[in-house]
Amino acid sequence: MTTETDIGTGTTTAEYAPEPTPHLDWAKLAPDVFKAMIRLDAAAGQGLDPRLRELVKIRASQLNHCALCLDMHSKDALAAGESVERIVQLSAWEESRHFYTGKELAALELTEAVTVLTGGTSQAFGSGGGFVPDEVYERAAEHFDETELAQLIAAITVINAWNRFGVTCRRTPGHYRPGQHK
Amino acid sequence: MTARPARVARTTYLDPAVRSAMRAVSAAAKKGLGDPALAELVQIRASQLNHCAFCLDMHLAIAREQGVPQQQLDLLPAWEEAGDVFDERERAALALTEAVTLLTEGSVPDEVYANAAEHFDEARLAHLVAVVTGINSWNRLMVSRRIPAGSTEW
Repeated sequence: MTTETDIGTGTTTAEYAPEPTPHLDWAKLAPDVFKAMIRLDAAAGQGLDPRLRELVKIRASQLNHCALCLDMHSKDALAAGESVERIVQLSAWEESRHFYTGKELAALELTEAVTVLTGGTSQAFGSGGGFVPDEVYERAAEHFDETELAQLIAAITVINAWNRFGVTCRRTPGHYRPGQHK
Repeated sequence: MTARPARVARTTYLDPAVRSAMRAVSAAAKKGLGDPALAELVQIRASQLNHCAFCLDMHLAIAREQGVPQQQLDLLPAWEEAGDVFDERERAALALTEAVTLLTEGSVPDEVYANAAEHFDEARLAHLVAVVTGINSWNRLMVSRRIPAGSTEW
């Protein structure tokens, strides 16, 4: 059960909706998959700045609406010294570019392109994601060398995978403690 | 006929540990699902939604080898309108595949999940989600690095 301490409101009077029931404890049901995912998670993003990794994870989790991953990675980011402002502004980063470095902006732009592959039904219309546009890839390649860029792509891919498990299996947020899975 | 554009990968580099762990995720997922033909159908459908030419090329070839009916492969993008070409279990899996792949458009609808849970026991359902998640991961690694269809280096 979620307590108000978990949600962090600091109030004692509000009545929140009941916590949803999880769908599927996939890590127990598919232990070999889970073990491989843990190995993948450790391998992906090696060598990247930890703060940048958390920003990428939070932004992908916003786009994929993964509450569990948002709970985890916003708490991990804060615990690692990230500012509240940079986390709050992340969903509108295009309007708050001065909160981030050029390298972070290039990584966020690539994160969105790699996360929203299904957008843009035809390249002819050039709208709404899809296909990871050349200019997005090239901007990222200006800031990351070939090895780093492959690790960034891997990190984006892996948080997308966790998002899919989290949302589909409805793993409920609110209970994560920073560093719990480190 | 005009010239076709050259097909060159943006990069073929991928950390060997990432590649090895990705293979382990996909292998464990498919083994646990225990239905190779269905695994190919859902992987092809996800690759269609994610526009991954490399993965489509690979999984269509595997599906044909496994004897998946050509009519299923032809009608897969329109499976909802394809009547009894797909049975109820396949339709439940395909609906779940689309929901899990289209996360940016909204959460996996309860009725889609519930329908899948009627056709798959919990362990198989967990592995089905893993197969869909695995191919979504490969789609991202291939599209972002623009690995050409049929390429042997990826």
